[in-house]
Amino acid sequence: MGEVIVVTSGKGGVGKTTTTANLGTGLAAASKKVCLVDADIGLRNLDVVLGLENRIVYDIVDVTTGVCRLRQALIKDKRFEGLHLLPAAQTKDKTAVNPEQMKELCEELRKEFDYVIIDCPAGIEQGFRNAIAGADRAIVVTTPEVSAVRDADRIIGLLEAADLREPKLIINRYRPKMVNRGDMMSIDDMNEILAIDLLGVVPEDEQVVVTTNKGETVVRDDKSLSGQAYRNITRRIMGENVPLMNLEEPSGLFSALRKMIGLK
Amino acid sequence: MTNGIAAQNSAINNLPVELEELVDDNTVLVQRTLRSGQSVYHDGNVVVLGDVNPGAEIVATGNIVVMGALRGVVHAGAKGDANAVILAFRLRPTQLRIANHITRPPEEEISDPDYPELARIKNGVVTIETFNSNFK
Ligand SMILES: Nc1ncnc2c1ncn2[C@@H]1O[C@H](COP(=O)(O)OP(=O)(O)OP(=O)(O)O)[C@@H](O)[C@H]1O
Ligand SMILES: [Mg+2]
Repeated sequence: MGEVIVVTSGKGGVGKTTTTANLGTGLAAASKKVCLVDADIGLRNLDVVLGLENRIVYDIVDVTTGVCRLRQALIKDKRFEGLHLLPAAQTKDKTAVNPEQMKELCEELRKEFDYVIIDCPAGIEQGFRNAIAGADRAIVVTTPEVSAVRDADRIIGLLEAADLREPKLIINRYRPKMVNRGDMMSIDDMNEILAIDLLGVVPEDEQVVVTTNKGETVVRDDKSLSGQAYRNITRRIMGENVPLMNLEEPSGLFSALRKMIGLK
Repeated sequence: MTNGIAAQNSAINNLPVELEELVDDNTVLVQRTLRSGQSVYHDGNVVVLGDVNPGAEIVATGNIVVMGALRGVVHAGAKGDANAVILAFRLRPTQLRIANHITRPPEEEISDPDYPELARIKNGVVTIETFNSNFK
């Protein structure tokens, strides 16, 4: 029986879809059977990020309303054998599905897959309630901004009230230089308020945008820091103990010199 | 609001023995951190064994004690009791209300004390002082 994990945040645009795509790819690369579920009905994104948009025939609402069978709606990834996507409907809204149907769907999916990862829409209304209905655990994504952290705190409260205990935190778009200058919340600042386990910290990285625009995921990019961060998070999800990596970019004359003489 | 009620009930029912004596008829013990969007309304005193985060709210007709960081909005003496006090291990409220007085921290960030503080009305204004156990 597989595990159902919801990726949520409260605030929009902090990196839920990016996280879902990268964790899914990372887990599939580790030979796990993974199904990604786009629960952002009406604002379908996950298919685009994975470069699978043109393969969609049926969607999640077709499944819950019995228009097609679950198996028919699942799209196989082009790169990873074990990776599948259940796309959102684009022409419906969040009320087209209810929490009970989502629970049933998750029960069915967990029979087939090692991991079912649900990409939650922003907000705390029905879309959120649908997305968490069938989940065993939750990952909360935030950026180091006061408003995003506030919303993350709200979401953690709602998750706990829904009996999704011990959610894990991913801090996304972290910029060590700004933190050092005192212009951005530090990991400690966020931990002081949210006080939940940290699953990982993903730095701000233009490679995320570059890969996303090509329908690829940065977790497959060996050279980028953000890719390394997502690989570490993937291993932690599988239960490995991986220390937090150093996010400081090498800078200054010395490393510039080393670069010049080809040491790094 | 429903969160708050639930919090009160569970707080009263799951008390460790050593804390039971803390609860009289009108004191409620909240045994967790109140997160953004959560609130407790109570006719009496409220004691929180955790933090009160920004965006969380407590309204009590009596005193409010927070055994953690108080960062949200709290109202003590909500029915007009000007003798009500607010005590917190770390007093960093968004806003403080006692009876019909409302205050907020100064805009410019000043001291960041790492000891418990007490807020109460003295001579008609809300004052903050270092808490020591013989304060009355
Ligand atoms: N670590 C990062 N570095 C740079 N850009 C990033 C990073 N993470 C996400 N982004 C960019 O931020 C934007 C929003 O990301 P994403 O779509 O994953 O957020 P979301 O939480 O799913 O948004 P929504 O709430 O609208 O569903 C995207 O353009 C993405 O490429
Ligand atoms: Mg999204």
